[in-house]
Amino acid sequence: MFVELGRWLALFVKELRQIGRNRRLIVMLIIPPTVNLVLFGFALNPTVTNLRLGVVDNSSSAESRELVTAFTESLAFKVTGYYLSESEMSEDLSEGKLNAGIVIPSDYADKRTRGESANIQLLVDAVDSNTATIAAGYAGRIVASLNQTIVASTPRKSPQAAPGGSAQTPSVPPRASRASITPRVALLYNPALLNSWFIVTGLIGALLVLQGSIVAAASMVREKEVGTIEQLLMTPAEAGAIITAKIAPIFLLLTADIGLSLTVARIVFGVPVRGSLLLFVVSGSLCVLSGIGIGTMIATFVNSQQQAQLMSFFVNPPLILLSGAMTPIEAMPQWIQPLTLLNPVRHFGVISRGILLKGTGMDVLYPNFLALLGFCILLVSISAWRFRRQLR
Amino acid sequence: MNPTEPNGRSKESAIRVRGLVKHYGKTQAVRGIDLDIGVGEIYGLIGPDGAGKTSVFQILGGVMPETSSVETAMLGKPPREARNYTGYLTQTFSLYQDLTVRENLRYMGDLRLLSKHDIEERGMHYLRLFDMDRFTERLAGRLSGGMKQKLALACALIAEPRILLLDEPTTGVDPVSRREFWDTLASLSSEGMTIVVATPYLDEAERCTHLSLMFNGTIIRTGTPKELKSSLGLKRLEVRASDLGRAESVLQDEPAIEDVQRFGDRLDVMVRDSENGTVAARNALGKQNIAIGQIRTGDPTLENTFVSLLRDLEGDHHSPPFPRSREFQERSADAVAIGAEGVSKYFGDFAAVKGIDLTIRYGEIYGLLGANGAGKTTTIKMLCGLLEPTDGLIELAGERGRARSQFVRQRLGYMSQKFSLYDDLTIEENLDFFAGVYGVPRTEREKKKKWVMEFSGLQGQEKMLTGELPGGWKQRVAFGSAILHEPSVLFLDEPTSGVDPLARRAFWRMINELADRGVAVLVTTHYLEEAEQCNRLGFMVAGEVVAEGTPTSVKAAQSGHLISIVTDRPQAASNFLKSVMDPWRVSIFGDRLHVVIEEDGVRGVDGLKKLLADNGIEVYGASEETRSLEDVFIAVVEQRRGPGDRLEE
Repeated sequence: MFVELGRWLALFVKELRQIGRNRRLIVMLIIPPTVNLVLFGFALNPTVTNLRLGVVDNSSSAESRELVTAFTESLAFKVTGYYLSESEMSEDLSEGKLNAGIVIPSDYADKRTRGESANIQLLVDAVDSNTATIAAGYAGRIVASLNQTIVASTPRKSPQAAPGGSAQTPSVPPRASRASITPRVALLYNPALLNSWFIVTGLIGALLVLQGSIVAAASMVREKEVGTIEQLLMTPAEAGAIITAKIAPIFLLLTADIGLSLTVARIVFGVPVRGSLLLFVVSGSLCVLSGIGIGTMIATFVNSQQQAQLMSFFVNPPLILLSGAMTPIEAMPQWIQPLTLLNPVRHFGVISRGILLKGTGMDVLYPNFLALLGFCILLVSISAWRFRRQLR
Repeated sequence: MNPTEPNGRSKESAIRVRGLVKHYGKTQAVRGIDLDIGVGEIYGLIGPDGAGKTSVFQILGGVMPETSSVETAMLGKPPREARNYTGYLTQTFSLYQDLTVRENLRYMGDLRLLSKHDIEERGMHYLRLFDMDRFTERLAGRLSGGMKQKLALACALIAEPRILLLDEPTTGVDPVSRREFWDTLASLSSEGMTIVVATPYLDEAERCTHLSLMFNGTIIRTGTPKELKSSLGLKRLEVRASDLGRAESVLQDEPAIEDVQRFGDRLDVMVRDSENGTVAARNALGKQNIAIGQIRTGDPTLENTFVSLLRDLEGDHHSPPFPRSREFQERSADAVAIGAEGVSKYFGDFAAVKGIDLTIRYGEIYGLLGANGAGKTTTIKMLCGLLEPTDGLIELAGERGRARSQFVRQRLGYMSQKFSLYDDLTIEENLDFFAGVYGVPRTEREKKKKWVMEFSGLQGQEKMLTGELPGGWKQRVAFGSAILHEPSVLFLDEPTSGVDPLARRAFWRMINELADRGVAVLVTTHYLEEAEQCNRLGFMVAGEVVAEGTPTSVKAAQSGHLISIVTDRPQAASNFLKSVMDPWRVSIFGDRLHVVIEEDGVRGVDGLKKLLADNGIEVYGASEETRSLEDVFIAVVEQRRGPGDRLEE
């Protein structure tokens, strides 16, 4: 046992020293996450303010005015014109004078008072598809928060925990089961719809997985590439010891990236930490481990660092795109949405936003935490198994 | 062709150097050397690692200026201006692996702004000369090691240089390919090409017309191989005795004996006078009750000469005794250390190894020899458990079948061809790692690390990055770290590749010491003079062991006789003989021709003389010589396989 520990230490120290010599790797662990966070936080910030909104209010009621106010309250929209007919508004929309328009039906107020579902029509200028998507997303959320206000003020609905709940369909009122958090909270966690927060908190997980997989793949494949792997395999060290000694220093370094990215998020974007920092670090570590698992797996399929890089180009973008880090999962096509459940980055995203922005804890986040833990164990064991098998 | 004087020196000067000096900062790499190299010579530069050979090549090649010189003239011009006439090949040839042979040639020609016609014509000329014209469409990456060297040479030749500078062109190339390569050099030289070549292999140096021995930046001897060998004024006694290890130490203390060098089944004893020396040796060994077989007298080899001269200059590598911490604990000398029963390995349809049987016992040094692609490396990987055999049973350190157990690996030492150390760690960190991973007790680590540093001659360099070490030194450290944990079974895959002869002897002294202590050693090498040090040898050809035995018995088992012929036109004689017998039977060694024939000595000599005389080639002298292990190896390999086989690697 003592001898085994000595062996493991020898392997570990060797890895540490090699990493210490690899200045490029150290730089890679510091610069890209920082730059990416800052860059993406600013550049990909989809917050659009003062979208020009046209309104056709056929209802002309207190309820419809409430709806219009909800739109303008967020600063995302400003009403630039009221129209008498939909066709009139469409004209301006197609000429680019408007970014979006809503049509409130005449029975809107009636349905609301009867507690029935009322439909409003949203028209979006889709020439700039990005803005269009964003406008549609805003509208959805505005309507959703309005729904929640209404539901919360309706005493027959019992409050029930459902994290991140926000209804999509611009229909009023919502399905009863979605009713939950009061509108105050919904708007408070991102009062000005500050989207850099949304991006940055989601991006942290994506970066951890990206860094983990690239660094792990490079480090795992390097001995294969230069040919020292055979010498290593001839030593009495067990495959398990070889793998863990390789993973351990990378893991430690990347855990430092959790702190780094959080610091950047805090200083540059003023992202708050409202929940448990410990839980954030623990789930971040799981995220790093998942990344290392992915990287190790990549390393078992390739023979050089170059191939490993190419392969991680193939694996990582879908992981990031399907994580909800940059675009809300709700904005993705229906059939893709379930797929994101298989993505550890998505789960970390939920946890990260929950902890940092909402201050939620394990009681709410446990499904995502368990999913993340599960993926982490699965990825690490599969990759370790494949790595051991190729060592034979 | 140039007129040649009887002593082999041509009149016209190709390279003339006087007082050449090169400093790197405070280090003096070259300290004032003179060179006179005639047109059409094959001029060998030999010397230990770090003697300054590569610096000389770089200066002559015009890629690096000298610090100062009285005269440095290549065909009467300074090296930089003569670059158009100079072809310079370094150890690592730059071929494009994913271009074909023809495309590589065309690319080199285009770079030199040659016309398409010239490229095609000259390219094909050299490919034909090198016996490679069948492979114009083959990718360079898929050529054998020797073929690659020849293609690189052709690429250099396409610009029609008049001087070729070759810096260790055959390191890591198998003996068959190496001999072919040297045949090529001989034919180029006969066309008037001047060739300067450095090599750590002294059997190759025998094929030069002239040699200079460099040491510490100066030239200490110059002459033909023959002159160099006789300059020692020593005779060589081949002594066979029952206990070589003890016999060696006894004879070393004998005043009448100048030098003792140990080989696999004999000692080479250098004496001033063969009569007195023989008597002295017999007496000394008799006193210690060491049984002696026959003692044969002969001339020293170039290696004997080199080692003796260098020992005088720098003293012997006296590696300190290995700090042993455990007594050897194998059950008995009869126990099998490494065994293989009908072991085969298939890669797809290709049979890399075809049902080989091997038994290597503790205390035995077994040499596995073969050309590149013969299946040696695959065999070793299977024997030491890195590769699963398709068929057959492996026995290793007392375990049969599953050889991958931790317990077995703890008792193995393994040194692979090139990649035994981590380049991005310092020497000390590498040693720390291997000591730690093999669980060498902390109390012994410092002693053992110190031993490796002394053995490698690198004291004080502990903090140096391993990647910055020249090849020969790296091998020494790698060897040291492979035996730190005192293994019972040792696998050494080309351990001495690129290591100079003196260091090579230190390696072999250590290997012998380990074997004497009961360690089983399996070693591969491309250097057959050193394979003589093995107790037993196995020759591999195309995945099979085709000959096995002690060096002496393997040589004795081969029919055929080696005739050395001195003639005025060795190249013409060679061309002619190659057309009437198997080409491998004929090779040029400097001014002599080696021919292997099946008839016995006297009749064969007369027959050859007559055959050559009938075709207008005058023979000055002919005599039978003892065949070296390399001669035998090449004969075995060539007889076993058809032409062109070796290319299918």
